[in-house]
Amino acid sequence: MPETLFDYEHHLAACARGERQALRDLYVQESPRLLGVAKRLVRDTALAEDIVHDAFLKIWTGAGRFDPARGSARGWMYSVTRHLALNYLRDHSREVQDDVDVQDNSANTFDFQEHSARIYGCLEQLEPARRNCIVHAYVDGFTHAQISHKLGTPLGTVKAWIKRSLTALRECMG
Amino acid sequence: MITRPTDETPEALDELASEYVLGTLSAEQRAEVQQRLRSDIGLRSAIDSWERRLLGLTELAEPLTPSAHLWQRIERSVNALYRQPSTSRAMPPATWWNRLPLWRGLAGAGLAATLLLGAMLLTQTTVKPTYLVVLVAPQDKAPGWVIQASNPREIQLIPLGVVEVPADKALEFWTKAEGWQGPVSLGLVKPGQTLSVPLDKLPPLEPNQLFELTLENPNGSPIGKPTGPIQFIGRAVKVL
Repeated sequence: MPETLFDYEHHLAACARGERQALRDLYVQESPRLLGVAKRLVRDTALAEDIVHDAFLKIWTGAGRFDPARGSARGWMYSVTRHLALNYLRDHSREVQDDVDVQDNSANTFDFQEHSARIYGCLEQLEPARRNCIVHAYVDGFTHAQISHKLGTPLGTVKAWIKRSLTALRECMG
Repeated sequence: MITRPTDETPEALDELASEYVLGTLSAEQRAEVQQRLRSDIGLRSAIDSWERRLLGLTELAEPLTPSAHLWQRIERSVNALYRQPSTSRAMPPATWWNRLPLWRGLAGAGLAATLLLGAMLLTQTTVKPTYLVVLVAPQDKAPGWVIQASNPREIQLIPLGVVEVPADKALEFWTKAEGWQGPVSLGLVKPGQTLSVPLDKLPPLEPNQLFELTLENPNGSPIGKPTGPIQFIGRAVKVL
């Protein structure tokens, strides 16, 4: 079902009431996209499935505490999944070498044209290299050091670019 | 406990929130943010805004169909949440809560009474409860209490009359959902008094969840499981 027609809030409220079919519906609706997000971050399919498993348990047990005033139910599901994956990545950063080979992981060009979300219009106003820093961090889960390695740009410059790009995004998006 | 640094500017707070959501904080910084999130409303709200701003970027990750058994794993884990840790070995083996015919009979009577009373309550109340339970006396099925849940985290036990409790005894309130090993105590109840019980230590309410009041010692059951006779019993019915 297109995400615009699927009532995420309603299903989350049903989860809070203990209705397991609602969790199943959310899973059918969103698990491929959530798994895609997790896989891109942790770079391993089995690990990504572990993350999505944990995320759905958190969605089930946390549904009663979800507050629609703080954001969309769909957005919350992504936040839960991403932060589980990011926690994993950062907690295991000593096992995964910090200069992990990121060369073939993803290109430095992203096709923003086909995406309509507001953020893409704002990203396009940034210089391509700075834009790539944001996308590599958010989508690929790269650290400052990994981005510096990937782009061949000094670490201090990468940190400053990210900081300024975020400020620009906030001004652009409100 | 980590508290918000007193010299933190709004800009620094927003920067911390943005890099937390972006993912560029270290494990230590992430742990600190997650600790602060529990009580720091300003930080929480800054993070919420950044989650909203950046969410569209998730579209850049190619969707991936999960393997067939991922849902089964999730379902098993959800079921496991409802299994109590097996610390109740000292329980007598054949107790009243394992007697199926008793539950079947009571569930039928309870259901009928619940639906009737539920319909009555719905016409009168402004806050619509999502679950209703009528607790009836096991002998004559006389309704004694109503449980009303308008949210899954808290229930109210409302007396329909005053019941007599022997001076050296107390009424203890219990619940048990399908798959739990035994009833869990929700505390002591005074006859004739409305009681609000937060359910935050328990899984969300589910249809057919059992509730009962038993007669126990003044301080409650000494073994954490019902020992005395059932005074009132009923099952949760979802209000449509």
